[in-house]
Amino acid sequence: MRSRLFRVAASLAILWGVITLAFFINHALPSDPARMVAGPHARPADVARIRDQLGLSRPPLEQYARFMRQLVHLASADLKAIDHATCESVGPLHVDLGRSYQQHRPVVRIIAERAPRSLLLACAAAFIQFTLGSLFGTLAALRKNSVFDTATVGMTLLGMSAPTFLIGIVLQIIFAKELGLLPLDGYGVTAWEHARSLILPALTLGIFGAAYTTRIVRDSMIAILSNDYIRSARAKGGSLLRVVVVHAFRNALIPLVTIVGVDLGALVGGAVVTESLFRWPGIGALTVRAALDRDGPVLMGTVVVSAGAMIAMSIVVDVLCAWIDPKGRVPSI
Amino acid sequence: MLIGGALVAALTLFAVITPLIASHDPLTSDFVHGISESGAPVGPSGNFLLGTDRIFRDQLVRLAVAARISLAIAMAATAIALSIGSAIGIVAGFFAGSVVDNVLMRIVDVGLAFPFLILVMAIGAALERTDAMTIMATLGLTGWLGTARLMRAKTLQVRTEEFIVAARASGQSTTGILAKHIVPNVSGAIVINATTSVAQMILAESSLSYLGVGIAPPTPTLGRMLFDGVDLWATAPWLTVAPAVAILMVVGGFNFIGEGFQADARG
Repeated sequence: MRSRLFRVAASLAILWGVITLAFFINHALPSDPARMVAGPHARPADVARIRDQLGLSRPPLEQYARFMRQLVHLASADLKAIDHATCESVGPLHVDLGRSYQQHRPVVRIIAERAPRSLLLACAAAFIQFTLGSLFGTLAALRKNSVFDTATVGMTLLGMSAPTFLIGIVLQIIFAKELGLLPLDGYGVTAWEHARSLILPALTLGIFGAAYTTRIVRDSMIAILSNDYIRSARAKGGSLLRVVVVHAFRNALIPLVTIVGVDLGALVGGAVVTESLFRWPGIGALTVRAALDRDGPVLMGTVVVSAGAMIAMSIVVDVLCAWIDPKGRVPSI
Repeated sequence: MLIGGALVAALTLFAVITPLIASHDPLTSDFVHGISESGAPVGPSGNFLLGTDRIFRDQLVRLAVAARISLAIAMAATAIALSIGSAIGIVAGFFAGSVVDNVLMRIVDVGLAFPFLILVMAIGAALERTDAMTIMATLGLTGWLGTARLMRAKTLQVRTEEFIVAARASGQSTTGILAKHIVPNVSGAIVINATTSVAQMILAESSLSYLGVGIAPPTPTLGRMLFDGVDLWATAPWLTVAPAVAILMVVGGFNFIGEGFQADARG
């Protein structure tokens, strides 16, 4: 329990480190937010006034202190310059990431709108990755050195060599341009359209992740299947299916859960390339937009979300692994 | 490993030789021969082996130049990343548990949790240009984190071996032990890491080109050629297929080599 608490504290420290680094990097980027807010035709006096209002004429350290104070505060907090206009409540706490320079809306709201879409895509992709990876990995391990095994290994190497955008473009050409079965990109309006639009980006990320996952499952299953307890289980008359599923696969779950979990954490924070390619309006596409627009507050928001998701998922993975393998017999990778 | 070596060698040869013997310039449009009667790019022919692109430039020469740039960037960036990553990983592993180790590993933790794209854009903006050198430096300076983790683990393993204990007992200096015993024993892992790293660098570089934060046009890169090609899929599919095959060949080649090394290492 103590080590768990320590782990959470260490994770929060890392998150703080990431946010701090991002704040100062963002600060160092050449841009004039006041000019962006004021618009291209504003008078210099107006730009200067807005700069003061946004607190941008203060020293960087003071801006940083203010950002951190506002980031998470009590709902009842009566801090100077906090009007709770750009806050979102989480229980008794308020989260505040300021207002977007480009969209002129609270960043928290923009992120709350987009995060579920990235989460949906991430879960769909992780499901495909997990299913394909464990299925092909196990089958290849059972038929080690067969034609099927060699073909699977070859395919995984090919999959690992194909960047996500290449897989995505191939899927777009086949299913959207040639066959016309699914939308090329976008998000749609109705739930049915969302589901149809989800398939290709989810497959892209799923196939990309499955290549590596298949290899890991295959290698660990081969090692596990040669163990004495597997032979004993078989000798005692356990069917192949039962032995593989109950005895072997359970032990291969640790590396599998680790990989899929870590990938899921990265995807929740936005699959930058895939979301852009398929115009999926999630956190990843938002990050690119904000970076190109130099929209500082939005950029900071995406950093908080993606780093937070990644760190949270690594804790979840730890807990899951401890649950699957309580004695910690299998070293996690 | 042979397949991988052959793929990489073939693509490298193609990248080096083609621009030397080609009669077309990679950046110049040919409005006389490179354009079809309907105004579309011409397909593969004797004059243009891979046809012309959307503004009628020779696709073959562009592909070779792009491959050359991608390979050069990936290798240079790998060299930078591996030097930094190995140095930090070995030091942290050798002094595991010390303050130095803790500080270095926490930096790695923060770096790994940091969104890659923002780091890249920040470095690009700080240097105020996006040419091949910038991208190379960016990928090199951001790509060492994983290597550092790996080399730390490897060094931790080697550190407890008897010959290290013996060297320590015989009064060798720390630097002596690091240089004479640790580095040679972890260099195998560095080599394996290098091949996969080159593959990843090529992927990263083409992804950046796609997102519009990579090397600026008109310089051809494999990633950008692919995206430009897809728009013309209906009329000129060769513009998509050629760069796609090139990317698969070069990344796949390096992955196959890495695979071979790993198989050898396992015995």
